Amino acid sequence: MTDADLIIILVVLSLHDGLRLGAMRLLTGAVQNGPGILWNGLVLILRSPLLLPDFYKAVLGYFQSPIIKRRADKFRSLKRGYYSFLLISGLYVLSFFLPLLVTDVAWYVRYEGQSYFPVVRSFAGYYVGNLINFKSTYFESDFGLLGDAPVRYRSLKKSFEAQNSGNKVVLAPYPYSPNESNLEEYEARPPHAPDKVHWFGTDDRGRDVFARMLYGFQISMTFALVVTFLSYLIGVSVGGYLGYYGGLFDIVVQRFVEIWSAIPFLFAVMIVVSIVKTNHMMVLLIFLLAAFGWMGMTYYIRGEFLREKAKDYVAAAISIGVKDTTIIFRHILPNALTPVISFMPFAIVGNISALVSLDFLGFGLPVPTPSWGELLNQGREYLKCYWLVFAPLGGLFATLMLVSFIGEAVREAFDPKQYSRLR
Amino acid sequence: MATYILRRMLLMIPTFIGITFICFAVMRFVPGGPVEQAIMQYKAAMMGGGGGEVASGGSSNSTGEVSAEMVEELKRIYGFDKPFHIAYLDWFVKVLQFDLGESYSYQKPVWDVISSRFPVSMFFGGIGFVLSYLVCVPLGVMKATKHGQGFDWASSILVFVGYSIPGWAAGVVLLVLFGGGSYYNVFPLGGMQSMNYHDLDFWGRVADKFHHAVLPVFCYMMGSFATTTVLMKNSLMENLGQDYVRTAFAKGLSEKKAIFKHALRNSLIPLATGLGHFFSFLLAGSYLIEKVFDIHGMGLLSFESLISRDYPVTLGILVISSILALIGNLLSDLIYALVDPRIRFK
Repeated sequence: MTDADLIIILVVLSLHDGLRLGAMRLLTGAVQNGPGILWNGLVLILRSPLLLPDFYKAVLGYFQSPIIKRRADKFRSLKRGYYSFLLISGLYVLSFFLPLLVTDVAWYVRYEGQSYFPVVRSFAGYYVGNLINFKSTYFESDFGLLGDAPVRYRSLKKSFEAQNSGNKVVLAPYPYSPNESNLEEYEARPPHAPDKVHWFGTDDRGRDVFARMLYGFQISMTFALVVTFLSYLIGVSVGGYLGYYGGLFDIVVQRFVEIWSAIPFLFAVMIVVSIVKTNHMMVLLIFLLAAFGWMGMTYYIRGEFLREKAKDYVAAAISIGVKDTTIIFRHILPNALTPVISFMPFAIVGNISALVSLDFLGFGLPVPTPSWGELLNQGREYLKCYWLVFAPLGGLFATLMLVSFIGEAVREAFDPKQYSRLR
Repeated sequence: MATYILRRMLLMIPTFIGITFICFAVMRFVPGGPVEQAIMQYKAAMMGGGGGEVASGGSSNSTGEVSAEMVEELKRIYGFDKPFHIAYLDWFVKVLQFDLGESYSYQKPVWDVISSRFPVSMFFGGIGFVLSYLVCVPLGVMKATKHGQGFDWASSILVFVGYSIPGWAAGVVLLVLFGGGSYYNVFPLGGMQSMNYHDLDFWGRVADKFHHAVLPVFCYMMGSFATTTVLMKNSLMENLGQDYVRTAFAKGLSEKKAIFKHALRNSLIPLATGLGHFFSFLLAGSYLIEKVFDIHGMGLLSFESLISRDYPVTLGILVISSILALIGNLLSDLIYALVDPRIRFK
């Protein structure tokens, strides 16, 4: 559900361009004769999401400059960070195929001479089930069983083997889904300790911890990446305008930023989450964390812009009549992106921790969502069940460690200053 | 300098008003506030057949519909009957008179509720803060002087572990390992003192407190361990590359003297600015660590007040912690000027 939410958001974001363009025309039209720079600046901030293409160009331009090429080479030579980067991006890409690899749905069913690939349908259902209407699950009646519940492939496999009639089921490599309860496999009450079948045991509702860990990784990473992207988008636009225009606009908005950053962040998020009831918790959390997390970047970008705008190429651009937004996003921004790149890994670390903390406190994602924080909270309750603590903590530790290795290497690659020890 | 401080204090006023205004507005306008909660609870109780526990002030028919008078009554109880700006002004004027209102769930003035939690958070925050500086500064110095050697490399692992595991999450692991979870039963599960605390003699009490404090304090330390250590190391490394250290070496000072008498002093400047937030550390507590160890401090109070929708307490904590943060910012700047004579505020 939560990933579906995400996809919807991304689709809506990209599809709404037409609507936004209209709104932009309206805004600019109304302000053409407006009272000066303060207004214009505020309107620019409101419009900033429209400038996504400019952002892409700025980022592309940034990576094409020779200095950045040299820094990228330096980064590649820092083995620990570079391999961490390869490893974690590989794992993240792989995690999108989790509904294919770690699922109770069978890969292949041969029934009465016909072949079925149920996992393909469930895989598609996982990602676009909310958008398109199609049959994403097979029901028991499809394979000659009584009843019309969704097929339980592990028991189907057993019954096919018992029949020995040429029917066949091939299960996924790890045949357990994160949200399915495996109570019928055990006599004792959950949580169950790790064994050969459930590698990391089961949680307090008999759900497989290993599967929940892996899905939790995908959700945490996606969440952190989207939040970081959004908060940097806001932070970079606001910081850019502040640095470029300066003056009264700068002073007024800076006060606002100051107020905004003085609000205790986690507490504010908890307040809103505890009050608002919505079906799109993931979306709400993403926007909340972005709304309270963009201020840090403004200061750095503002500083960069203050420095850059005094340079000759900006004066040249102004003198030939280039538009302000073009100067800001196409000319200056590529030269001001260093703080963004070098702080990004640490922002991702922070956002993953924030999500885990919120989930731990119960103010995070809604209940059945696989989450590390929720597992840790269970571990706090069932202290005898060590696997409920070690599994999520190990995952958290490994992920954050890899990302901070990347951050360390990026910082070293971008830091022109080499520590030299005298003597 | 005095004018600078005065100006900064004056600037704090609009910031403070802004913070309280935003928080008050969020609590007021976001759907699902206390009035709606109470109505929902009432409806649920009526649906459940009975509703005896709900103190119903107004009349209502038995179908679970809430009458208009009752909604008005609820709004009056929770102070929602007035328009927003008047409600905010009323509340703000009371805050200026140090009256934070009365807690819904404790039936006591908010100030009493909050101040009863101060000593607890102060105990853990204070010890954690002091200990983290006591550990991180020497460790950072050692790492800088032995940069690139075995010790630096080995302690870097510790730093990375500290950075990658949030303090509260380490707390859960510590409980499993040492709190009578799956392994050793060395330390208590949480709380501040044992059941028989009041029967103990003085030293017994001290030992008991210490026994309860070890794990939480460790978690508090872990929170700032990595950043403080790395800050100390980098700052000292930077100073060691400066010309005045070269001069110190050139005139024949010993390595010890050059580092401790010259370089270290200047490299402590970035750390000193962190001292400004000492009070926020002391009082704010940590929701997470306090929840893990069941310590009834400020953090757990703010968490519980959110769960039970005790809005006066939530707003009260918000007021106090934002004032502390603002004062902390000012203090950091002042300390910065104090330790670095090159910086002069105007």
